[in-house]
Amino acid sequence: MKNKRSIVGTTILLVWTIVSIWPIWYFATIALRPRVEIIAPDPIYWPTFTIETWAKIWDEWPMMKYFFNSIASVAGSVVICLLLGIPAAYSLARYRYKGRDDIGNYILSTKMMAPAVVAIPLFVLFAHFKMLDTIWALMLVYSATNLSIVVWIIRSYMIDIPHEVEDAARTDGASDLRILWEIIIPMCLPGIITAAVIASVFAMNEFFLTLIIGRREAYTMSIALANFKGGSDGIIYNAIALIAFMAFIPILLLVLSIQNHLSRGLTMGAVKG
Amino acid sequence: MTATAQPTIIRRRSARSRQLFPYLLVMPAVIYLLSITLYPGIYALYRSLYSGKFKLEWAGLSNYQELLADTQFWNSIWNTLLLGSITLLVEFIIALTLAALVYRDPWVRGFRILFLLPMLLMPSAVSFIWKLMFNDGRVISDLLKRIGLIDYNIDWMISTPLARFVVIFADVWQWTPFLFIIFVAGLQGQDKEVEEAARLDGASWTSMFFNVTLPMMRPVIAIGLILRGIDILNMFAPIQVITQGAPGGATETLGYYIQRIGWDGPNFGYASAASVLVLVATVILSQVLVRRFFRSGTES
Repeated sequence: MKNKRSIVGTTILLVWTIVSIWPIWYFATIALRPRVEIIAPDPIYWPTFTIETWAKIWDEWPMMKYFFNSIASVAGSVVICLLLGIPAAYSLARYRYKGRDDIGNYILSTKMMAPAVVAIPLFVLFAHFKMLDTIWALMLVYSATNLSIVVWIIRSYMIDIPHEVEDAARTDGASDLRILWEIIIPMCLPGIITAAVIASVFAMNEFFLTLIIGRREAYTMSIALANFKGGSDGIIYNAIALIAFMAFIPILLLVLSIQNHLSRGLTMGAVKG
Repeated sequence: MTATAQPTIIRRRSARSRQLFPYLLVMPAVIYLLSITLYPGIYALYRSLYSGKFKLEWAGLSNYQELLADTQFWNSIWNTLLLGSITLLVEFIIALTLAALVYRDPWVRGFRILFLLPMLLMPSAVSFIWKLMFNDGRVISDLLKRIGLIDYNIDWMISTPLARFVVIFADVWQWTPFLFIIFVAGLQGQDKEVEEAARLDGASWTSMFFNVTLPMMRPVIAIGLILRGIDILNMFAPIQVITQGAPGGATETLGYYIQRIGWDGPNFGYASAASVLVLVATVILSQVLVRRFFRSGTES
C-alpha cells in the first residue's frame, strides 16, 4: 500500500522538524558568537563567528574538569549498574522462586522514587561520610537511580533467549555461572549495551541530585552551566551553549549506536521494536 | 562407608545452594536499592518529627500540622498537578499525531533521529535555551513581532499564564520525542492484518485509527504516559532555571517547593515532613501502576 500523506500532515511534520531543530542550531551558534551579539536588544539571526569568546571561556572556567567529572561519574555509575544489574536480571528472567515477582516489582517501583524525597537524607548521609562534593557520591546516586532501568531492560532481553540453548549447555555439565557468562551475556549483548547507553544518558543529564551533591570539586557539565554568571555580565550564554554541546555530542554518538533499540530501552523492555 | 556418604552430602548441599542461587544473584541489587529507598524514607520520617537544622529539637507532629496549613504547600501540589496534566496531554496529542503520520513511512527509522535531538540535550541546557529564547534573548517576541502578532516585547515572567506556558513549552519541546518514539514502535509492532481487514471492509482512515489502531495501542500508550508522568511530576530544571517559581509561586512545583524550604529556609524537619507525604503518595501510586500496567505490558 503506497502511503499518501495529506498536505496538512506534511505541514505538521515540517513545522515540528523546524521547531525541533532550529532552537538547537540557534543555541549552537551562541557558543561561537561575540558577547555583544547575544545581549543585543534584538536577536541577530545571522551570526558572526569568533573563536575569541571560546578561548576566553576556556581560560576562565575549568571546562575540561567539568567534562571529566561528568564522564567519570557516568562511567562509574554504569559499571556499578551492570555489575549489580546483570546477575539480578538473570535471576529474574531465568529462575522460578518464591517472591520473584515481588522483588521484580520492587526494583521497578524504585524508578518512581521522587528525587525531592531522597535529597535531604542523601545529603545528610554523604555529609556524614565526608562524601559531599565528590564524584564517588555522584556515581552512587546515578547508579541507584538507574539500576531499576538497567535490570528491567536486560531482563527483557534475557527472557527472549530460548531455553534450549541453556538446557544443552547444562546437560554438558556447565555451571549456572558459566552459562550466564559464556552464553547468556554474549547473546543479550545488545540489551546490555542498550541499558548502558540509556543509563548513561540519564546519568549525564541528572540535574536535581547533582545540584545537591556538587559544590565545587564535583561540578559536572549538567550543573556547571547553571553557574556561568559573571557579575555584571549576567548569565554567560556562550559558556552555557559550549558546555551543553560538549555533553550533547557524546550522548548523540552513544544513542546513534543503539538507534534500533531505543524505544525498547526507554520503556524498560515493555515496548519492542 | 564414607565413600558412599560423600556423594549424597554433596548433592544435598548443591540442591540447597541451587535453591539459594537465584536469591544470591538478585540480592546485591535489592540491598543496594533498599539503602537508597528505605533509608531515606526512615530518615525523613525521623527527621520530620524534629525541628532545627543542626541542633535537633523534638517537634512531634507540629511540622505536619504546620505543613497541612501551609497554603504554599497546597499551591505547589496544585501547580504540579495542573502543569503536569496539561504538559502530559499536550505531549500525548502531538506525539500521537506525529507518530500516526510517519509510522508507515519506510524512511522513518532514518529521520526519526531528527525529532529525537531535543531529548538528548541536558534538561538544564534546554531550560537555558528557552530562558534565552523567551526572556533574555527576546527571540520569541521578535519572531512574533515579525509575523505581526504583537508590536512590543512580551515579559513572559510577569503573568501567571505566560510563565506557566513557558515552563510547559520547554518540557513539551524536549520530551514529546520520548512519547513519539514509543508510539511509533507500538504502531509499527501491531498486527498489520487487522488493519488490512478493516480497510477491506471499507473503513475510512479516521474510523480505522480510532476504532482499530488506537484500542490495540492501549498498553503501549499506558506505559508511555506512566513513564512520562513520573518524570513530569518530578519536573525541576525548568523551574529552577527559568522561573524559580515566579510570578508569586505560580510555577512552583512540589519538588521545587521541598527543595526551597529545605535549603533556603533552612528547615530540614519541615521539608522532611513534606517528603514523607510525597513518599507515601508515591508508594501507593507505584503499587497501583506497576502492578496494573507494567506487567500486563511485559508478560504476554
